[in-house]
Amino acid sequence: MPESVSNITAQMPRAKLAGLLLFFLGPAVAIYSLFSIYPLVATMALSTYTSDPSGGRHFVGLANFQTLLGDALWSKPFWNAFGNNLIFFAVHMCVQNPIGIALAGLLSLPGLRLKGFYRTVMFLPTMLSVVIVGFSWNLILSPLWGVASGALKAVGLGSLFAPWLGLESSALVTLSLISVWQFVGIPMMLIYAALLNIPDELIDAARVDGLGHFRIFFHIKLPLVLPTISLVSVLTFVANFNAFDLIYSVKGALAGPNFATDILGTFFYRTFFGNQLQLGNPTMGSAVATVMFFIILVGLCLYLFLVQRRIRRFAF
Amino acid sequence: MANLRIEHLNKRYGATTVLNDVNLKIEDGEFVVLVGPSGCGKSTLLRMIAGLDGASGGDIHIAGKPVNTLAPAERGIAMVFQSYALYPHMNVRKNMTFGLKFTGVPPAERERRVAEAARMLRLEELLERYPRDLSGGQRQRVAIGRAIVREPAVFLFDEPLSNLDAALRVSTRVEIANLHRLLKSTIVYVTHDQVEAMTLADRIVVMNKGCIEQVGRPLDLYYAPANLFVAGFIGSPAMNFFEAKVGSVEGGCARVAGPGFRSFDLPTASLRVGDTLTVGVRPEHLGRGEDGPFAVEGVVELVERLGESSFAYVRRADDRLFVAEVRGRQTPMPGERATFFAAARDVHVFDAASLRVSTQNDA
Repeated sequence: MPESVSNITAQMPRAKLAGLLLFFLGPAVAIYSLFSIYPLVATMALSTYTSDPSGGRHFVGLANFQTLLGDALWSKPFWNAFGNNLIFFAVHMCVQNPIGIALAGLLSLPGLRLKGFYRTVMFLPTMLSVVIVGFSWNLILSPLWGVASGALKAVGLGSLFAPWLGLESSALVTLSLISVWQFVGIPMMLIYAALLNIPDELIDAARVDGLGHFRIFFHIKLPLVLPTISLVSVLTFVANFNAFDLIYSVKGALAGPNFATDILGTFFYRTFFGNQLQLGNPTMGSAVATVMFFIILVGLCLYLFLVQRRIRRFAF
Repeated sequence: MANLRIEHLNKRYGATTVLNDVNLKIEDGEFVVLVGPSGCGKSTLLRMIAGLDGASGGDIHIAGKPVNTLAPAERGIAMVFQSYALYPHMNVRKNMTFGLKFTGVPPAERERRVAEAARMLRLEELLERYPRDLSGGQRQRVAIGRAIVREPAVFLFDEPLSNLDAALRVSTRVEIANLHRLLKSTIVYVTHDQVEAMTLADRIVVMNKGCIEQVGRPLDLYYAPANLFVAGFIGSPAMNFFEAKVGSVEGGCARVAGPGFRSFDLPTASLRVGDTLTVGVRPEHLGRGEDGPFAVEGVVELVERLGESSFAYVRRADDRLFVAEVRGRQTPMPGERATFFAAARDVHVFDAASLRVSTQNDA
């Protein structure tokens, strides 16, 4: 009978055991510390300093956070960005994830032809660079030379066209939908994989019980992939509150028109690195980054305690 | 309660034929077991009766009504699956009532049926539990309960015991037999386990390569297998086969001779000199005691002792092995030379087409 691991380690000399642990765990701990923990701690530390015009840094405690949330000059753009970010997240939750679930449900139907083709086509935008996606949609939706107005005219809906990306009222939702278009493949793939995990006999049992495809999806498949859907929601939350690249590539760092598409990522960028007349302010930028970190942390904790604990993964 | 009629049923996937012209009549209240090696088409046949797979040709009638175009729920069947297929996110009660909700059974009636099935299957304590909290045997009972509450015309069982351990399999087998006695319903039951088939069935359908080899009562299959396949499939250990030829035919008797065993006379009129035959004798019918018309001799090579009997693996003069079951305490020793005899009625003879040669011994 093979000896159990705990027996082997118990008999080992202390020094040898420590050496072994260092050998196996050391590299991962070192890399994780260097590239994840250290930057995080350093950013938090930097957010408690302020720099004077001579370049010297002084410890100011939580004063930066007071400024950020208390001074109207800072708090107004911050809350604007936070609100926009919530809308950005809401559009993803209400459009991207339901469409992803629906596509996964359609893909998992028995007897569907060309499954591989559909899967690839719908996943393709996810693999494109955000810069290219942003640039393409900028061109498509351009009121001057974009194909969108022509395409709408061709089906008789020309009067509906508006320069969506340029209007304060619609720019944010338009950008959110572009992001949805690009990333809908991810929830689709994750949920599709979860759906494939459901045993065929369970579906057969539901058919014998008299359910059609639609009811099978809602009463059997959907409840069983709920854990995956909640995982997808969390991934969406984290990705949305860290988003930056699409806004930057379509609207630039000023996130126009009139900051209508400004989200925390672009707000942080302007604060930290500066933009046009605004000077870069690393200490204030670190404060913004720290607040973003805590927003995501609070969101994740709420999810873990309120949702995750009530959801059960089903073993088949 | 209903009878089931299957006529010229075919199933093809592309070029492969899974079922080939299957014809079967099952009477009202009959317990029929489909048995055969894996890939013989028995599960496909069951799924086609259930309506989960479509037919490539032929008809299925349940209670005299053609059901080919009906959905599974409209056929008046209920099915118990090998993996139980309980809905993991519903408790036992919901698992049982779920299907009824969609077939328009009123709530009070649903509750009555669940209570009755729970009492019958001793599930009352478990109604609020989830499948994950149940043992394999309990899950199996819930799956059967879910079938019972549908009050189907025909119950379909797809290898329902193969996920249970050996002890539970025996007790659940007895429960299923009792259930059939109680409900008096028509049951079609698929298994690859011939013990289940023999113990449960009113009639057994032996299938092989998409065709029905023989339909009959368990003991008929055992004592008078219609062909070589059934002879070799039913019984454990499998029947011993000896190659043979007809040496001479005289006065309604054929002289059967072959390497390794003593020639004997077979009272049949249907054979000619030179016909190739296969002689089959079950290990449990080979004895060392009294002389019989059939005798085979060899050197014992290996003995498996089971307690109530032993299996002797014996090598014949022509270097082939055969198995004999020796009862009692006088187990043969390896290396011993022994002769085994069989009575005339225990000797099965099959012709070149693998079909049973009927003899006057059969009567």
